Amino acid sequence: MSAKKEGMVYVTSLQERIVHWLLAGSCLFALLTGLGLMFHSWDFIAALLGGHYAMKWMHIFSGVVFAFSLVAASIMWWEHCKFVPDDLKWAQQAGGYLWEAHDLPPGGMYNAGQKLFFWAVFVFGIILVVSGLIMFNPLAVPVVLARWAYMLHAASVMVIASFFIVHLYLGTFGNPGTVQIMFHGWATRDYCEFHKGKWLADREKKGGEESQAS
Amino acid sequence: MTEYIKLIDLTKCTGCRACQVACKNWNDLPAESTGFTGSLQNPADLSYNTWCLIRFDEIQNGSGMNWIMRHDACMHCEWPACVKACPSPGALVRTDTGAVVHDPNYCIGCKACTAACPFDIPRYSAEQEKIAKCTLCYDRITDGRKPACVTACPTGCLTFGPKAEMLAKADARAAEVQGVVYPRNPKYRTNVLYIMPKAINVAQLQHTNPNPKMPTTILWWKNLFKPFTLIGMGAVAGAAMLHYMVRGPHEPHEPENKEGGE
Ligand code: HEM
Ligand code: SF4
Ligand code: SF4
Ligand code: SF4
Repeated sequence: MSAKKEGMVYVTSLQERIVHWLLAGSCLFALLTGLGLMFHSWDFIAALLGGHYAMKWMHIFSGVVFAFSLVAASIMWWEHCKFVPDDLKWAQQAGGYLWEAHDLPPGGMYNAGQKLFFWAVFVFGIILVVSGLIMFNPLAVPVVLARWAYMLHAASVMVIASFFIVHLYLGTFGNPGTVQIMFHGWATRDYCEFHKGKWLADREKKGGEESQAS
Repeated sequence: MTEYIKLIDLTKCTGCRACQVACKNWNDLPAESTGFTGSLQNPADLSYNTWCLIRFDEIQNGSGMNWIMRHDACMHCEWPACVKACPSPGALVRTDTGAVVHDPNYCIGCKACTAACPFDIPRYSAEQEKIAKCTLCYDRITDGRKPACVTACPTGCLTFGPKAEMLAKADARAAEVQGVVYPRNPKYRTNVLYIMPKAINVAQLQHTNPNPKMPTTILWWKNLFKPFTLIGMGAVAGAAMLHYMVRGPHEPHEPENKEGGE
């Protein structure tokens, strides 16, 4: 996988991609089963998965997988996602997504929007996991706390699910050449210069092993 | 179908517990082994197999000692928090009789109802992985009979009848004994009502909620965040499509495609 390729840059390691898809898969499966539990009118989800009782356990287990992948993802992305002064400049121009921006600082591994998505998943993911644990046995805690858990669980879903749609769009149609970063790991050099210019320059300065200038 | 009300007149209860036994009997609920807890209350709490319970309270008000026996069971809320919280269709249903019934066939044992109920009524069994509670003897009342507890009560403490009739009766009785009808929150009505004796404030009794209402957190969960999960995802998906159509994919612009270049 990481052999040199003409005009291509190896952006994500295999571990990164596995962690990403564990996180994404568990998150989406929990979202699907969770929506099935939330909306009675969507009982086709339960019908597909073998009933509400089975779906309850699937939801709980995907939540557990999500919890562990969140830990792994956070360790992996923490440094990349720390905000830096350039992020403000990027944000003031909406990253050039909404109008023509002429003064965008060269990007790091992730831009300010992607960092925001990471932090949203981190913060609301923790709330989801903790509230989910309480909802697993609401009888073990004071009832007021249990009720807050149900409410915060739903609020966090609202945030992460909406962010996810943005992420899905920007990771696919919105930014051609991105999605392959999470499949085989490679992006074109042009892509990296445009999106991750600073990251690419830093890496090449360090003599980045797998990166390859054409 | 008529809506019914069960009225519990606390000025009349003698604590005979015929209701407690009748409930077990009609609903085929096994007895439980209990111990003496220093009170006549036995068993100590509601359970998966005990859907109604006489609670004993000794209350010192001014000069006198009041000994209160209270028939405690599901209040059959008009706008039940338990039903609102339940994720499994059919597991908890408010019927047009006013009875809120649970169906063990559909209960998935998630326990959400136990947290939502403002009266702390549903009881969970880990062995069964289900909850149980009073059904207002739905099977009896749809057959023209009264709930088992009401039928058994020898003192007239428990009465049962069509809603309008029972509301009038409750008001008349409260006036007669100078007590109050509980609960009286017009925003959270129940199909079970109490006549509280004059000397007693409901807050002094064990296992009561002086101000029963739909918990705000449950309301926000189901009426705000639940719809806005879909609204949020839909709005963002719409915005993404619009962005794609108006701005197109985010790419370095090829100078030759741009008028005047960069
Ligand atoms: C099927 C849908 C998904 C696709 C196609 C997808 C695609 C991608 C791609 C291509 C990247 C790399 C972006 C880059 O290097 O610039 C990425 C990163 C990331 N993904 Fe996903 N992803 C999906 C679902 C998810 C879900 C459900 C989550 C969250 C629970 C998630 C969390 C992340 C995070 C935190 C990052 C790193 C930071 C960022 O790009 O914002 N992804 N994803
Ligand atoms: S008292 Fe509790 S269990 Fe009974 S109907 Fe009301 S909310 Fe449901
Ligand atoms: S425990 Fe059963 S009745 Fe209670 S909310 Fe869950 S599925 Fe519904
Ligand atoms: S049967 Fe009637 S009098 Fe006897 S304990 Fe029950 S409510 Fe009270």
